[in-house]
Amino acid sequence: MKKVTILLVLLFTCFALQAQKIFATKTGQIKFNASSPLEKIEAVNNQVDSKMVDKTGQIVFSVLIKSFRFENQLMEDHFNENYLETSKIPKADFKGFISNITTVDFSKEGRYQIELNGTLTIHGVSQKVSTTGTLTIVGSKPTITGIFKIKIKDYGITGLYIGDKIASEAEINVKCEYQ
Amino acid sequence: MKKKILISLTAIFVISAFCIWYYVFQYSKTHHRKVETENAIIVTPDQIVKAYQNNEQAANKSYLNKTIQLTGLIAKRDKDQAGHITLTIKSGDPFTNVFCTLKSLVNTSTPDSLITIKGICSGFLSDVVLNDAIIVNQNKEN
Repeated sequence: MKKVTILLVLLFTCFALQAQKIFATKTGQIKFNASSPLEKIEAVNNQVDSKMVDKTGQIVFSVLIKSFRFENQLMEDHFNENYLETSKIPKADFKGFISNITTVDFSKEGRYQIELNGTLTIHGVSQKVSTTGTLTIVGSKPTITGIFKIKIKDYGITGLYIGDKIASEAEINVKCEYQ
Repeated sequence: MKKKILISLTAIFVISAFCIWYYVFQYSKTHHRKVETENAIIVTPDQIVKAYQNNEQAANKSYLNKTIQLTGLIAKRDKDQAGHITLTIKSGDPFTNVFCTLKSLVNTSTPDSLITIKGICSGFLSDVVLNDAIIVNQNKEN
């Protein structure tokens, strides 16, 4: 009897696995803005790796800090060496769930408001993050956009200019077009 | 005599202050790292992927933020959301390749042809990632 149950469970798991779809991209975009009235501090990363599961709403974003490009090379070097310590901690990621994924109909074109909950790890420090975003479906391909703010000091990033030349809160702007 | 020393010291101070100001606020605003002129570490796609798979920390010590040159077969050619050309170069492992974002819009060979590129290593996600890459050599006949 037990064997039959296990077999049935396995069978259903198989169906469940087949039924869900994983959307992925290696070229998502994340913009970082910690500008203050004194200085423009902006960077773009066009090599964001992200995966999303349509049924469960599970979502992962991974970035290499070195892939953030600044207009000013010196600023980029400082960002990597003095603040994010890229050579020691080269990655940052967000792992979590779209908690209201059931409201999204992946087979229908449209815009859906989504709620994201998860853990954001930057500079080796993990923090719980809850934010909202938009999921747009065009031609069966989803795009996720969202803007949220993080307190730089929450992630153990220290430096002389934070809160002065560098804003104490950085704005993170996400746009990922999935395949 | 004292006056002369004072004047020359002031001159040196003013000149160096200007140089620092120029370097920090002007030069670095417009000048980025030039992959073209940097000496590259030459590896095969297989070598760098294996190095990252075996020991990411050690591989980062050898390759992160360094200019890497490698030759391999193109698995995929695509564009990122900002319109840059991206190339995936095959390694021995079908799941883990070398992912490159090119610096400029150039004509590249089609998939399955051989290409030599040079770029700055950003690290390892699902692939080894190169940024600001340029094409050193490519076989366009294929």
